[in-house]
Amino acid sequence: MDNRLALFVQAARGPILLITLGFLFAIQQAGIVSFARTWPLILIVIGLTKLIERAVTPQGFVQLPPPPPPGGPLR
Amino acid sequence: MRARGSLTGPLILILIGAVFLIHALSPNFQIADFIARYWPYILIAWGALQLVEVCFRFVMNRPLPVNGVSGGAWVLVIFICLAGLVTSEFRRPDTWWRLAGLERGVQAFGEEHEFSFDSLQRPTGKSPHLVIESFRGNAKITGGDEQGVTVSGHKVIRAFEENDAARTNAQTPVELLTQGNTIIVRCHQDRTYTRTSINTDLEISLPKGASLEATGAAGDFDVSALAGDVDISSENAGVRLQNVGGSVKINTRRSDLIRCTEVNGAVDLRGHGTDIELTKINGQVTVNGSYTGSISLRSLKKPIKVENLRTEFDVQQVPGEIRLERGSITMQNVVGPTHLTTRATDVTIENFTSSLDLNVDRGDIELRPGHLPVGKMAIRTKSGNIELALPQAAAFAMTASTEHGDISNEFGDALKEVSEGRGARLEGSVGAGPDLNLITQRGRITVRKTSGSETVATVANADKPVQASLR
Repeated sequence: MDNRLALFVQAARGPILLITLGFLFAIQQAGIVSFARTWPLILIVIGLTKLIERAVTPQGFVQLPPPPPPGGPLR
Repeated sequence: MRARGSLTGPLILILIGAVFLIHALSPNFQIADFIARYWPYILIAWGALQLVEVCFRFVMNRPLPVNGVSGGAWVLVIFICLAGLVTSEFRRPDTWWRLAGLERGVQAFGEEHEFSFDSLQRPTGKSPHLVIESFRGNAKITGGDEQGVTVSGHKVIRAFEENDAARTNAQTPVELLTQGNTIIVRCHQDRTYTRTSINTDLEISLPKGASLEATGAAGDFDVSALAGDVDISSENAGVRLQNVGGSVKINTRRSDLIRCTEVNGAVDLRGHGTDIELTKINGQVTVNGSYTGSISLRSLKKPIKVENLRTEFDVQQVPGEIRLERGSITMQNVVGPTHLTTRATDVTIENFTSSLDLNVDRGDIELRPGHLPVGKMAIRTKSGNIELALPQAAAFAMTASTEHGDISNEFGDALKEVSEGRGARLEGSVGAGPDLNLITQRGRITVRKTSGSETVATVANADKPVQASLR
């Protein structure tokens, strides 16, 4: 179950990054802060999600299960 | 059994399809505008949907995807970012590439549509002050005998569709406002979102007593026969002035040519540009900036001060000509005292009066004073040959030295030559005259007599103040 949580965090990372990216570009568009100055936030977000992923991965689970074949996970 | 694919892909497809469908159905809907404004929100919406989906799967105990956003999707994201950045960059009026002058290339995509507008007229006094506000296009301004100001011209609008062009045309009327003695020409080119695609060409005629103040984004100014001051500042302009009674101030960030002819007042050029041509200026001339082309100064009556890239000089008068090019400066018939400091430039000065103070970093120097008596000279170069041609009858006290190189002397025993290591010194005087001081660290020094073919202007009227400044 814990492993599943780690999988969840991993799966959520992409969308979270996407939202961050969109947000940064949106505030650039609105003329508040330029993306050139805010991009390090993306690195921070990646780092944070990795950290959370690490925190929720149970001890002894060195490697997550191998990725399923392309076309999405099998049921 | 295959897991059901992500919800987001289809939704994105539907969104894109809907946007293009709306565009097809109502031509007023601007697809590029839409993308330019809302593309970051597409990313946010996509991310949010995907996040909701992942959460949903987690809560419902469905299998989770390894990555919320797959590799292929990231490629699409990058594509959207690029497209969004490019389109929104297009819409901003003053981006770096517009300033760099790339816009002509980009504008070439659209078609040109030309619109003329009715000529505008206002009565004015004898010496109105004309103001042209932030303006893009070419302006021809002519002073004459009329009693009022007349503005006519046409607009050239680049757009992909006739509709767009017509709409832009309606949004940008040319207006003529009068505030007391001031007449303001407004083109309202900043009203359109796509400001760059519109160029207004103006022809303005007004009473010859007028003065002019213009700010422009890009475009040429052609001004003639005005008695007042002219003040032009522009991002990118070629400026041609002729017959101006007042002083002239021109400030450009880019320029292909600034030409001023017959100006009665001072001329002050600042900023960046390429070529400068100043002819028949009665006032002081100041050039301060970086002009990369050639600078040509002719018939200037008052002191001249130039600070440009590698070269700085000031001269009192230029009855003849000064030409400053990349790598060389030539002065012909100038009235000193002259100060010149330059780097990596060959210097030729002919026919000059009064004292000369010359500092060259690297470059050959060729001097032919031409006038008698010769003025005091202090010539220094780190690397380069010095050639000095003096009239036969010249009187002077010479000190010349080179650290690496030799000295040749045509004035015979009056000047004493000494070899020093790899260099040489030349000292002595011919008659009683001013100090001539020539120093090069590396190079040959030639002191010769003016040969017959070279003209020598003896004791001309210009020499009187010179003698006073020597002794």
